[in-house]
Amino acid sequence: MTYLLEAKQLRKQYADKLALRGLNLQIAPGEVFCLLGQNGAGKSTTINLFLGFVQPTSGAAFVNGLEVATNSLQIKKHLAYIPENVMLYPHLTGLENLALFSRLAGFRYPESELLTYLTDAGLPPEAVRRRVDTYSKGMRQKVGIAIAVAKHAQVLLLDEPTSGLDPKASNEFSELLRRLSGQGTAVLMATHDIFRAKEVGTRVGIMREGELVDVRPTAALNAQELEQLYLTYMN
Amino acid sequence: MHLFWILFSYEWRHFRAAKGLVLMCGLLLVSGLYGIYYGTTEIERQRQHLAALPELTRRNVAELKVKFPGPADAGDIGYYHTAFAVHHPDPWAALSLGLRDVNPSYVKLRLLGLQNQLYATDNTNPMKVLSGNFDLAFVLVYLFPMLIIALSFNLLSSEREEGILVLLLAQPVRPATVLAAKLAFRLTLVLALALLLSGVGMLWAGVPLDGRIGTWLALTVLYCLFWLAVALVVAALQRPSAVNAVALLGVWLLLVVLVPSLLNLGVAAARPVPQGIELTIRQREEIHAGWDRPKAQTMNRFFALYPQWRDTATIRERFVWRWYYAFQHLGDVAVAPQATAYAQGLQQRYNLVEQLNLLSPAINVQSSLNALAATDLPSHLAFQRSATRYHDSLRAFYYPFLFRKVEFTHADYAQEPTHTFTSHPELATTYRGLLKLLLSVAAVYALGALLLRVRSINPR
Repeated sequence: MTYLLEAKQLRKQYADKLALRGLNLQIAPGEVFCLLGQNGAGKSTTINLFLGFVQPTSGAAFVNGLEVATNSLQIKKHLAYIPENVMLYPHLTGLENLALFSRLAGFRYPESELLTYLTDAGLPPEAVRRRVDTYSKGMRQKVGIAIAVAKHAQVLLLDEPTSGLDPKASNEFSELLRRLSGQGTAVLMATHDIFRAKEVGTRVGIMREGELVDVRPTAALNAQELEQLYLTYMN
Repeated sequence: MHLFWILFSYEWRHFRAAKGLVLMCGLLLVSGLYGIYYGTTEIERQRQHLAALPELTRRNVAELKVKFPGPADAGDIGYYHTAFAVHHPDPWAALSLGLRDVNPSYVKLRLLGLQNQLYATDNTNPMKVLSGNFDLAFVLVYLFPMLIIALSFNLLSSEREEGILVLLLAQPVRPATVLAAKLAFRLTLVLALALLLSGVGMLWAGVPLDGRIGTWLALTVLYCLFWLAVALVVAALQRPSAVNAVALLGVWLLLVVLVPSLLNLGVAAARPVPQGIELTIRQREEIHAGWDRPKAQTMNRFFALYPQWRDTATIRERFVWRWYYAFQHLGDVAVAPQATAYAQGLQQRYNLVEQLNLLSPAINVQSSLNALAATDLPSHLAFQRSATRYHDSLRAFYYPFLFRKVEFTHADYAQEPTHTFTSHPELATTYRGLLKLLLSVAAVYALGALLLRVRSINPR
């Protein structure tokens, strides 16, 4: 089977800390894999390794079959990323930011299409032509979602993507993830939100001190069981 | 390349939004225009002074014709008549004044001893000399690096600190492309300003259409590239913006202020030059002693130098002009070794600075621009040598009147030699400076590239 995301014995040692201890992970098309764990458990390091922002100490990360370390430019055509705190060029409008990042990703959309992406992501129509420095965190997050969706990537890497979103927007985002996974997009989402993970994830993995200590299909657990499982490992 | 142009075009938007930088560019443009105005005004003032000198000479001659209506003793004329050795500026001097503000553009000469006349200059405002020239070369060499620092201290660090870099580098774009677009935009902006000012300066100063235009522009472009290379090295270290700013200002301070100052002190210690005042006092003592020496002793020493006048009559009078001019002349002879040592010492200092200026591109470029504009020390020394030769020719003109006891008539004024001297650019110095600057630029870019290779850009 072809995995869109794969980690083989992925290990990352920082100067003073072993952040990842031989991670093995495969995410197939259409899967939404949620990484749960405390701060410092290795969730963000995993995402950074898939993005090529840091180099593994040993092992390898693959995106769509391409090794990240040797294809750092090529793999970015296949993935989109939404960080916990989307930061944009503050003097540009939401529309201009989306146009810039889309062009860098290789897409040149007409304005009407850009507007659709932004409003579909939940940005109020009256805000799209305002400078981003007037936006709330949630509004910036929505532009980040629009940037990711407009890239039509096969892989979505999400690091606490709903941080700052109100419940309605979070639900809309969950709906978007379901739609994208239905279209074959593989999603790796690092989150602290157990209920969101249960809601949108197809599998959840619990990380602790750089290790993936447990992986379960979400269908096999209800929210309470998942919470209990998580707390068991955290304690 | 496509991504490069996208990023390049957005850099323009980012720049427009940074009002402080736009204001700084405007201020630098105004400073550059003022520098051009200052330089052209200063050179125009010198030209006006030089243009007025023939009129002063005509008036002097007219006064002498009234004072001596008939044939006169050439000794009187030589004593009262003033001639001028003039150092005409090259048109480029308006853009790089160099030493033209501290060295005289003309020397007033009489038939007396030369050396003290050679170093006698008009009074100048010492505060003005201390503050230096605010010409275009000053703006380019000292102020442009500040603009480059202001534009480039946060090349990548601002995006990293604002958290935009993670989103930017999550796109299929190389960090090197982002950096290259940023550098290219800044280079375009800085060069647009520098070349605009250079062009305006050249037109304003009316420089001749020759190869020096290309050399000036090449120096300007390479110098801007040098400072952008320094910014690249600092960016490659991936420190916070505040650290970058301090580091770049430190480099500016080092290369533009500290190294030149230390070089000045070091060269002065390594190549001591006798003080001009010592030379002047020694000559004055020698001349004053001439009044008390036996005339035969003075004349015999003089005739050893000018044997053609040995057969002239023995001096028995209490005062005759040829004896007076002979001991004036011997005053110059007495200090000739010191005068030579002084000029050679200055030249050696200059040569040493030229050898060491690889340590500071700012000095290198300033020296190269001065050499191109013929406003450097060698140009001034060449003028002094020319003025010395002119004084020799005045002596050669007057001595036959004095020693043959020929009367000086009104018609003889027109036969008196005149002087003119225009500096020639030291292009060899400029080309050497250009080559050294090219090496500096290549070395600093290589360091930047090496650092980027060793330390891949971290978006967080």
